[in-house]
Amino acid sequence: MLKKFVGEWNTKTIVAVAIGAALFGALMVWGSIPVFTNTSLTSAMIVPVVVGALFGPLPAMVSLLVGNCLADLIGGWGFWFDWSVGNGVLGLFVGLLPMYGADIKNGIFKIKHAIIYTICCVLGNAIAFGIVTPIMTALFYSADLEITFIQSLAGGLSNTAVLVIVGLPILFILSKRYASRTNLVEEPEE
Amino acid sequence: MNNRFLINYTPGSTPLHKLNGTTKVIGFIAITVAIIATFDFRIMLAIFLLCMAGVASMKPNWKPIAFMFGFLIVTNGIIGSLMVFLLTPESGLTKTGMETIFWQSAGGKLYLSWELLWYAWAMFFKRVASLSSAILFILSITPSELAAGLNSIKMPYKICTIVSLAFRTIPDIARDFTDIKNSMMMRGVELENVSLGKKLKQYIMMLVPLLMSSFAKVENISNSMDLRSYGKCKGRTWYSEHPATKNDKIARVFIALIFAWWIFYVVFFKHIHAPAVDFWCPWVPKEISGYWF
Repeated sequence: MLKKFVGEWNTKTIVAVAIGAALFGALMVWGSIPVFTNTSLTSAMIVPVVVGALFGPLPAMVSLLVGNCLADLIGGWGFWFDWSVGNGVLGLFVGLLPMYGADIKNGIFKIKHAIIYTICCVLGNAIAFGIVTPIMTALFYSADLEITFIQSLAGGLSNTAVLVIVGLPILFILSKRYASRTNLVEEPEE
Repeated sequence: MNNRFLINYTPGSTPLHKLNGTTKVIGFIAITVAIIATFDFRIMLAIFLLCMAGVASMKPNWKPIAFMFGFLIVTNGIIGSLMVFLLTPESGLTKTGMETIFWQSAGGKLYLSWELLWYAWAMFFKRVASLSSAILFILSITPSELAAGLNSIKMPYKICTIVSLAFRTIPDIARDFTDIKNSMMMRGVELENVSLGKKLKQYIMMLVPLLMSSFAKVENISNSMDLRSYGKCKGRTWYSEHPATKNDKIARVFIALIFAWWIFYVVFFKHIHAPAVDFWCPWVPKEISGYWF
């Protein structure tokens, strides 16, 4: 169980996490439609789904944390690490996929997993942007809690929308692709 | 899009560029914590001027920088301030300790005070200072130096590799993204002037090939890293890291001063002699605000 949580930190995982982080950063800066101040309907949210599905929760978390720091540096809004940490926590929840039996690499992703995935997304957003980010914002940046809550509510809602509406089809497509590759059956020895 | 890259991939020639990675990383941390610690406009202004002086000394391409500041003014300066005004018009009073109302709506629910404007301005300026420090950092450092610098402050080297690799992959992703966008336009897909729902759908259509082409590279890169025995030993040496020069030592003394000042500020002005309100405002008298300095 712990091994599934931490993931296997070999070279392949490291490269995948790095590319995930770069994708997250690039999509956050260029691939988003702003809906509110500091928040946007961002296609970047698809990254933790893919990284989490293939490599596990902790790689997804690192990917988002690094990716968000990167986006902060190149995006033109300054360094706000409260949101980076929030996104990291969200990545952890979204990436829980292998923990409850969804095995994309072997083509296993059923309706049951889709439901758990949706619950995880909502829960992760609630914890990351309802608790972690506002607390850190209040603690380190002492901004208005009221405004922070509204911002994180908008962020959480748009994230959940992207994670569910875009994430689920992509998960089904991915698992189907992998399933068609792994349907080799060992021939019984004669 | 290419116009907006600020990342350096080759080491520059000015004195700030030539500092070693460790100095740059701890310098950035020092400035960031200094920005986090305070809302005092005077300190923000000092940090902003310091960072901009640093940026100017590197003789950068000003166009993307100007674009970033313009973007910040629109998203945070205008929209953010409007939100403060609509949601918490009383924060002028709670944050600076005084209220001089000069406009009021008919119902009396919305009102503008000079202190509220000052509060919104100070909040916005905090973002400006934060952005200028980020620009200074990103302009001065190359991905390899960043990785080396992070490693020297005891970050596990695998994380450092992730950071440097992610930085290096961004131009590739931007290029792939442009390619996909161009090929979609070639096929006659309308990308501009469409409704939000349609735009979302098109983003998804572009996303799938982008994901595929990006993650297809994983195998290649990791194989070539494995072939060069990546991750076989516990530590790693860094090609781009050089021993501290005289300039580095001067910069580190300066950074130590920032840290010392920060600790002093937090201990003294936040706990021992805490002012009554969070925001210093030039026209609020000392007796109310508690800012005797």
